Amino acid sequence: MTATPRAEVATPLPRPTGRLERFARRQGWVVGVAVLLGALILWRSSQIPAFGAFEVRGIVAGTMTLALLAMAQTVIVISGGIDLSVGAMMVLTNCIAARLMLDQDLGPVVLVALLVVAVAMVLSGIIGAVAVVSGVPDIVVTLAASFILAGLALIVLDGPGGGTNPRFQELLVGGFDQPLPATLWLAGIFLLVWVPFKRSRLGIATYAVGSDRAAAFLSGLNVGRTRVAAYVMGGLFSGLAGLVTTAFTGSGEPRASIGATATLTSVAAVVLGGVALMGGSGTLLGPVLAAFCLALIAPLMLGLGWDPNYAEVARGVIIIVVVMIGGLLQVPRRAR
Amino acid sequence: MSQPLLQTTAVAKAFGPVVALRAVDLSVAPGEVHALLGANGAGKSTLVKILTGVLRNDSGTVAVNGEPVLLRSPTEARARGLAPVYQDPALIRDLTVAQNLRLTGVEVADVRRELAAMDLDGLDLDEQVRDIPLPFLRMLDLARALVFDPQLLVLDEITAALPPDLSERVFAIMGRWKKRDRSVLFISHRLAEVREHCDMCTVLRDGGNVASFHPGEGGESQIVAAMLGEASAGVRDVARERRAARERNDEEAPRLVVRDLLIDRQDAGVSFEVRAGEVLGLAALEGQGQDRLFEILSGNARAAGGEILVDGRPLRARHPYDAIRRGVVLVPSNRLAALLPQRPIRENIAIPLFNRVRRWGPINTGRERRQVSEAVTRLSIDTRAAAQARRLSGGNQQKLTIGRWLAAGFRTLLLFDPTRGIDVGTKHQIYDLVRELADAGAAIVMFTSELREIGLVCDRAAVLHNGAIVAELPPTASETDLLTAAHGLEVTAV
Amino acid sequence: MTTVVADPAVRDWRQTLVDRPAVVLSGVLLLLYFVTGLVAPGMFTPNGVRSTLLLACPLAILAASQTLCMLTGGIDLSTVMTANFAAYVAANQSSQGPLAALSLALLVGLAVGTVNGVGVGVFKVNPLIMTLGMASVLLGVVTVGLVGDGFLSGSTRLLPVLRTVSSGTLFGPVPNNVLVWALVAAVLIFGLSRTGLGRAVYAVGDNPIACRLAGVRIWQVLLAVYVLSALLAALGGLLFSGISGSVGPDQTNAYLLPSVAAAVIGGTSILGGVGGYTGTILGALILTVLNRLLLTLDTTEAFRQILYGLIVLALAWVYVRLTGQRGA
Repeated sequence: MTATPRAEVATPLPRPTGRLERFARRQGWVVGVAVLLGALILWRSSQIPAFGAFEVRGIVAGTMTLALLAMAQTVIVISGGIDLSVGAMMVLTNCIAARLMLDQDLGPVVLVALLVVAVAMVLSGIIGAVAVVSGVPDIVVTLAASFILAGLALIVLDGPGGGTNPRFQELLVGGFDQPLPATLWLAGIFLLVWVPFKRSRLGIATYAVGSDRAAAFLSGLNVGRTRVAAYVMGGLFSGLAGLVTTAFTGSGEPRASIGATATLTSVAAVVLGGVALMGGSGTLLGPVLAAFCLALIAPLMLGLGWDPNYAEVARGVIIIVVVMIGGLLQVPRRAR
Repeated sequence: MSQPLLQTTAVAKAFGPVVALRAVDLSVAPGEVHALLGANGAGKSTLVKILTGVLRNDSGTVAVNGEPVLLRSPTEARARGLAPVYQDPALIRDLTVAQNLRLTGVEVADVRRELAAMDLDGLDLDEQVRDIPLPFLRMLDLARALVFDPQLLVLDEITAALPPDLSERVFAIMGRWKKRDRSVLFISHRLAEVREHCDMCTVLRDGGNVASFHPGEGGESQIVAAMLGEASAGVRDVARERRAARERNDEEAPRLVVRDLLIDRQDAGVSFEVRAGEVLGLAALEGQGQDRLFEILSGNARAAGGEILVDGRPLRARHPYDAIRRGVVLVPSNRLAALLPQRPIRENIAIPLFNRVRRWGPINTGRERRQVSEAVTRLSIDTRAAAQARRLSGGNQQKLTIGRWLAAGFRTLLLFDPTRGIDVGTKHQIYDLVRELADAGAAIVMFTSELREIGLVCDRAAVLHNGAIVAELPPTASETDLLTAAHGLEVTAV
Repeated sequence: MTTVVADPAVRDWRQTLVDRPAVVLSGVLLLLYFVTGLVAPGMFTPNGVRSTLLLACPLAILAASQTLCMLTGGIDLSTVMTANFAAYVAANQSSQGPLAALSLALLVGLAVGTVNGVGVGVFKVNPLIMTLGMASVLLGVVTVGLVGDGFLSGSTRLLPVLRTVSSGTLFGPVPNNVLVWALVAAVLIFGLSRTGLGRAVYAVGDNPIACRLAGVRIWQVLLAVYVLSALLAALGGLLFSGISGSVGPDQTNAYLLPSVAAAVIGGTSILGGVGGYTGTILGALILTVLNRLLLTLDTTEAFRQILYGLIVLALAWVYVRLTGQRGA
């Protein structure tokens, strides 16, 4: 005859992580990237005697495309997938916009802009649906999609061409020395689209699905729908990237290699921004800041008097080294 | 009195050729704390999954308050008032607790209220799940289930690995539920708890219910007897005969010595010895450290302290290769971890042969074929579906994981629950094989969650409890004694 | 834990499809070849066969790289850059004689492969990112080398031996480079099916946990795979330069995605553990013939791209349906 041992010692509650520690643990990487970016900007500004609105506008507007693609890739990666067609989507939307906006007034141009983004969202949703329904790995589906989208772009514009409305350009990316529009757009997208999304049930579901698909399913989540939603959101951002390209360059260019390079750079920005390629963690801010860091490398080298071609080498080496270090740091945390 | 809150009639479930539940009748009255007992593999978790909508039963009915119900999903089960709390909390590790709650549509405030009632309102719900220790995650899961105000709370091994003070809070909640005329289905291995807190218990064995009674009357022995049944007596004689026939050389130095190996705790370690030709059986309830012990022994993890000696020399393994090189090999119970699912039988068996660079050259196919077919024949592996290992039956898959070591050679064999989830026929083949291997000179350590196997196969038995060996018993020890020791209780000498 | 006992009768035809995808692929190839021949009768001549083989060869070699990496569950996005770099080095150093020049080119492959292998195997970096970063580095190195006094500037002269091997004809429908291809194929196919390393490669891709429990040191296998991949890429670049007659910093870039597609079509799962080079050979041939068909049909580049993508997708989908290899 034995009795259950009476509790003599109360189990201590887990020490709640201090706010600072929690912040450091969760956002540490992003803070690091932000600090790095700050340092790079300071460095750049020291290289140019009259660093002002012109330079800032150049940096922001010039990187906007990459930043938007990084956003697109981030959402999809967080949901547990990967999208090798974001660049091609950008090229396609660029061409559609350029073709339809040629010689139009602001009103119709804005409508076209909305249409283009909608098209991108729909197409991206279809790609996601194909990935979900067929069971073919994301990487293969989006690889095939990149060909298809590139082909569609060529149908829209068989060579560089098209145009846009100058007012629209100003609105989106600002004139020569107006950094504000571009900065505002980026900030606006981040605050008005991402932040509410992340807090919403769909946003949490996206993280859940990327973190542990099986557990998410057992929790009652519709995994397929959540994944497709992530692709739709990715389409929103890559559509915007195409629009920005139209605004920035004032034309459309259906060259597939642009898309391919942009896609791969977006993946690099995602990883450098602290988002795990396995999914389930990370924020949008990191990759956006990382995109800016990546974009600053070439101008910095120019300023140093180095051969700007070294920028490519530097970029690659930085990616590898950062990821190796990141991998070493992450391994104990991620050990299952 | 009124009709039962929950009534299952002839519920049956099979997974292919494996019958998990035969025809289970379970009856839980309102205001009752009902224990569901049974040895591992008896069918408890399958029944729970059916009751909570994760699985569908093949036949039989489930009725709630007299009304037959069809539980097609966890959501439906919850709507019918059946809410589970599982051993592995269904929480997503990368999210915070609050986010997890939002996902499943539970208000954070409600959960906080329940936590406060448990005196746990100090828990920070904005912590990520991965940062919260398991006992508290269980309590969170419990609080979440309580929010739904279920008619039947299904607690699946909730007190396993819970410290006493948290267990007490669980019992307090169970009491509260009783008072409100609601019921609790309590699955546990801890017989003392069952006797103290439960009104009724139903014992499952081999997929069917064998007894239902008040656990307070009759004592633990009655429960254990019901769990074990009479089946094993005859077979044990055979094993005893073989043991008597074998000559044992006691002067020989032990092949494997484990001394004060610190697994989970810092204050006590595991110590035992195994000689060549000997089978040491290890018995333990779930979660007593046996998983980690075997990981350490096989070189897949490092111990916090203590030492392992193989053939008298210390083994400090940093990778399973180091252990394998010393002849220590592991057959894990999780076949999914050990098998190459898409590769054929031949490659599965041969893989240890290529674990070093020196062996990367061309394969002597004749020799490989011979080694593989020897293993296949010895184990009677059904090779009809030879192309991909994942198409084999569970029994054949398990034989494959043993077969690879037959082909590669070994001196010390670690078997972790080798017959879990396997049909009876294959089980006996494996028992015979283990004895043969021991007779041929291997030292074998076998952990089993089925206590009757100790008597069938082993020369000695050790019982693991809470990270340390608490008893060494002869193989002739009764299963009752083994089970008692496994619960951490004293075994009275006969 | 599911217990599935295979039912021999029903699964027979599907089994053949899965276990011998080469049969199906060969059928597809022959059909495609026939259809192409209908619109381009030149295909049926020895010259037509020759040109198909000639063009398919570099693609097939690059696809061999991908096959190896994909078998371990990885991918190599730096192959085309390695190819370009190696070709450039060979042409640049051709004045030192063919042996020296070719050795240097292969050395490039060795170096790149080692870095990739260490990154993926030891530091456990995701192969996508590791090889991506490597590609950037290589692009930069090549660009730097070409500019001004860079180490790659100076005369580049294509090695005559390369030209002969890559674009010469053995006889009739068989170009010289098929010899190289055949050698590579023989080594790969034998290596993957009959050597310990080959077994380890499949095992690592199928279930790395099981490999660890069996004592396999995974980083060793990954290092070997990525080194071999880069060596093959270097070889591919050399052969391509022989065909095109020149070298350029982005010569083979267009082959990157098709090399992955060829491996996927050929039945190698991008998740690892299943596939082989036989299928990839057929995949490369199919893509080359498909390309020819689309070119001959006088369709636009646009249509070609779209059709290409749709066909790759369709074949991958069919594979998943048949083999039940669903994405994670």
